[in-house]
Amino acid sequence: MTKPSEKSEGPVRGASRREFLRTGAVAVGALAGAPGAAQALEFDLESFFQKNFRELSDEEIDDVVKRLSRRYSKQYGAEVSVHATGPMDGVLYGYGLDISRCIGCRRCVYACVDENNQSRDPQIHWIRVLEFEREAIVRGFDLEDGNPYYDHEQVPAADKIYLPVACQHCEESPCTNVCPTGATWREPDGIVVIDYDWCIGCRYCMASCPYGARHFNWTEPSIPAEEINPNMHLLGNRPRTAGVVEKCSFCIQRVRDGRYPACLEACPVGARKFGNLLDSDSEIRTLMRTKRTFVLKAELKTQPKFFYFYG
Amino acid sequence: MSDEQSWRAAQPQWSWPRIFLRFILDSAGVVSRGNGPYYAWIVFLLLVIGSGVSAYANQVSHGLITTHMRDQVSWGFYIGNFAFLVGVAAAAVVLVIPAYIYNWGPIRDVVLLAEILSVAAIVMCILFVTVDVGRPHVVWHMMPGLGTPNFPHSMLMWDVLVLSSYFLINYFIVTYLLYMGYTGQKYNANFIMPIIFLSIPMAVGIHSVTAMLFMGLKARAFWHTAILAPRFLSSAFCSGPALLVLIFLVLRKIGRLPVSEHTLFKVGELLAYAMAVNLFFLGVEVFTEFYGETAHSIHAHLQWFGTHERKDIAIYSWTALACNFTAFIGFMVPVLRRKLTVLVGACILAIGGVFVEKGLGLLLPGMTPDVLGETYTYNPSLNEVAVAAGVWAIGALLFTAMVKVALSVTAGTMRFRARSVV
Amino acid sequence: MEPDPSKQHDYRPPPYQLTTWLLLGAALLLIVFLISLRTKHQPDTSRSYPSRALIADGEAVLLPPPPMNDEFVPCGDCHGAEEVPNPERRKLEEEHDAMKVAHGELWCLQCHDLHNREKLRLADGSLIAFEDSWQLCTQCHGKKLADWRAGVHGKRTGHWRGPKEYQPCVFCHNPHAPRFAPIAPKPPPVRPEQIVLNGSASEARAHDEAE
Repeated sequence: MTKPSEKSEGPVRGASRREFLRTGAVAVGALAGAPGAAQALEFDLESFFQKNFRELSDEEIDDVVKRLSRRYSKQYGAEVSVHATGPMDGVLYGYGLDISRCIGCRRCVYACVDENNQSRDPQIHWIRVLEFEREAIVRGFDLEDGNPYYDHEQVPAADKIYLPVACQHCEESPCTNVCPTGATWREPDGIVVIDYDWCIGCRYCMASCPYGARHFNWTEPSIPAEEINPNMHLLGNRPRTAGVVEKCSFCIQRVRDGRYPACLEACPVGARKFGNLLDSDSEIRTLMRTKRTFVLKAELKTQPKFFYFYG
Repeated sequence: MSDEQSWRAAQPQWSWPRIFLRFILDSAGVVSRGNGPYYAWIVFLLLVIGSGVSAYANQVSHGLITTHMRDQVSWGFYIGNFAFLVGVAAAAVVLVIPAYIYNWGPIRDVVLLAEILSVAAIVMCILFVTVDVGRPHVVWHMMPGLGTPNFPHSMLMWDVLVLSSYFLINYFIVTYLLYMGYTGQKYNANFIMPIIFLSIPMAVGIHSVTAMLFMGLKARAFWHTAILAPRFLSSAFCSGPALLVLIFLVLRKIGRLPVSEHTLFKVGELLAYAMAVNLFFLGVEVFTEFYGETAHSIHAHLQWFGTHERKDIAIYSWTALACNFTAFIGFMVPVLRRKLTVLVGACILAIGGVFVEKGLGLLLPGMTPDVLGETYTYNPSLNEVAVAAGVWAIGALLFTAMVKVALSVTAGTMRFRARSVV
Repeated sequence: MEPDPSKQHDYRPPPYQLTTWLLLGAALLLIVFLISLRTKHQPDTSRSYPSRALIADGEAVLLPPPPMNDEFVPCGDCHGAEEVPNPERRKLEEEHDAMKVAHGELWCLQCHDLHNREKLRLADGSLIAFEDSWQLCTQCHGKKLADWRAGVHGKRTGHWRGPKEYQPCVFCHNPHAPRFAPIAPKPPPVRPEQIVLNGSASEARAHDEAE
């Protein structure tokens, strides 16, 4: 039984406490021959004590990406390179989706799986394509009636319309508000990212997301080594572990290099549009200006950056 | 030598840490001694804890896939139990208010047990949240100083803070009162009363903050309602004291707890008011959902009538309502309330009704259908139930141990005796 | 491969010089502005549009159309210069019956030139090469032209900021039957009940039947 007066220690600076714990653990580990033992137990002391991404200095980030590149190269037998490319200035990403074009072929879903190293077993899909009756255009999309499990011989099926849903990267995202550890936040370029090493897996963000965009690793994810995408971003498509939440990152490893997301390039009918919302001549701004555009669950005032339109 | 004299005599040689150590050792002694049924109870609890620990080890090694929670229903049995137990923890205040504020003797004898119950309940709450997270080894990411808590935005952060504080306050109150009793001293009212008074708004606080955890989620229409916090309070005030009544009766029988039936009937009367309010809140919620029906009413529909994808929740909801209403009659009608068997029955019904209403009865309609309209039929897996039972058993064990000490101290059988050798 | 140290994460200006970005952005704006001028104020004639050309400075590249499939035989193989063409609107048999034509009320000679089978014919009589067929499509589908130019219609690949490729109409649309044929979808997602610990993701779980 603990003494009641020892409610908690006096105020200790977080950094020094971390240092103390780290030094203590390292000392104990060194005494016990930890490097070998830790490796055997697959317990990475450095990874355990890694701070929240937003607190890391540039050198520390460099260390982290180097460590992860080494780890994943070994794990998957490929030349893996993990980056932590920062956001571009003057950029706010927006996504457009042409509902009159989407045929529900799900090629975007699987292109995303390949690009972003999602678990095959148990299966995780970041994009979910909902099938509605064509009347939904007139009546409004009641998500109750959406069916993600359609399995026709050919698409588009008669009188059906398709709505792919993934993370909307809301400007007023409820998920970043509720995360208790600050493991998810919105970057200056509008992408809502997750620090997978910091997430504790409480799933509060999943409860708060109105779009079902977040997915949990219920067990250790499995990716076939030959299908790994070796071009990784620390906040994007690096492989995750069991017990963390993941979601679409607008292909952060691509878009911060100026490239289109994988789903856009996979779409056979050109239904997907992407660009910089702050550039009034971009594709996305043009379609917002010239087409009938709407967002999902607008009444929740999350200000999504995923704009559905009729092209 | 009287206790007081014994204590005073020991003063020069015994510093209070040494006396406190003695207190702990004596408590351990008291806890480890008992009669046959007591040992049987302890062994039973240890077995359940053992199975819970093994089930949890299974969960840690494989991940939360051992539960039946999936993306579509990402919170389930664990959080349901957590919500229910937060209510039990807060309900101690129902007895604290009349005992201390109105200085009402008959209840004051037993309020210590209510505080002990709230300590055990809070420990169970913390354990339920811990077994629910995907990576428990890094929960320190949430701690101020060590990690980066998302304060003041995240309600979960607030919840952790108020739960910890409430635990510490209650634990301190209990330990202080028992320690004072153990050493035969009179407790210092000027010191402890402000802390006890603080625990009253804190109890309301922990409960409201837990309700805010759910209420703030605009994605979940079933929870995004202002009445959730009042309903949490009202259902807590039904389940907590009811549980206490049952515990008092058990302890009166086996632990010679001096609690009069008059006290229990008074608690029953309080329960009548609490259940009346609880039923009223339920009524207004049902009215709002069914009179002005919107697309969001699908959750209430699922709760009371089921949907074509899932029907069984309706049976549970109506059963819980029947339990609550019957309990209400039992509490309210004086001639019924004053029959001990009726009171016991009503308490059991009230606890059961609230457990369903606030456990899975809160979680399932909130998460089903999910935000994209899909219904996933969630029922807890065997592993989940084993872990949950283990947590309940830990709480029960803690409660048993603390109550045994408290009874011994209040009965005078556990007292500080100065010895020349520690 | 070591990660590029210049790609450090920071909130300072990106790895590239700010000035270069500003210049590129200004160039892009200027180009788009010029195009918008041309599309708005100039009449739709083949002589005005750049064809198969860069819009400017590696920004957007119009990809060549895919090669014709085996169904199609170059017209000149059968239609010689000495042939007397028949301008009557009719349904073609003999050698042309395998081809599905479903393009509104159009028939062959509204797009193909009567005398020169190697060329397509615009409304004003001018002849264009098959590679510039998009000029022909957009005579009627003018709204689509504006959208296609802006990137709103059709598919682009490459970079949202940087070199990108866009495709002429016939890249996706068969000019004889432009409406897309349905295709087989990729498999649906597994249901949550099917996600179990030891089995593969496609195994159904027993509890489903027990309900």
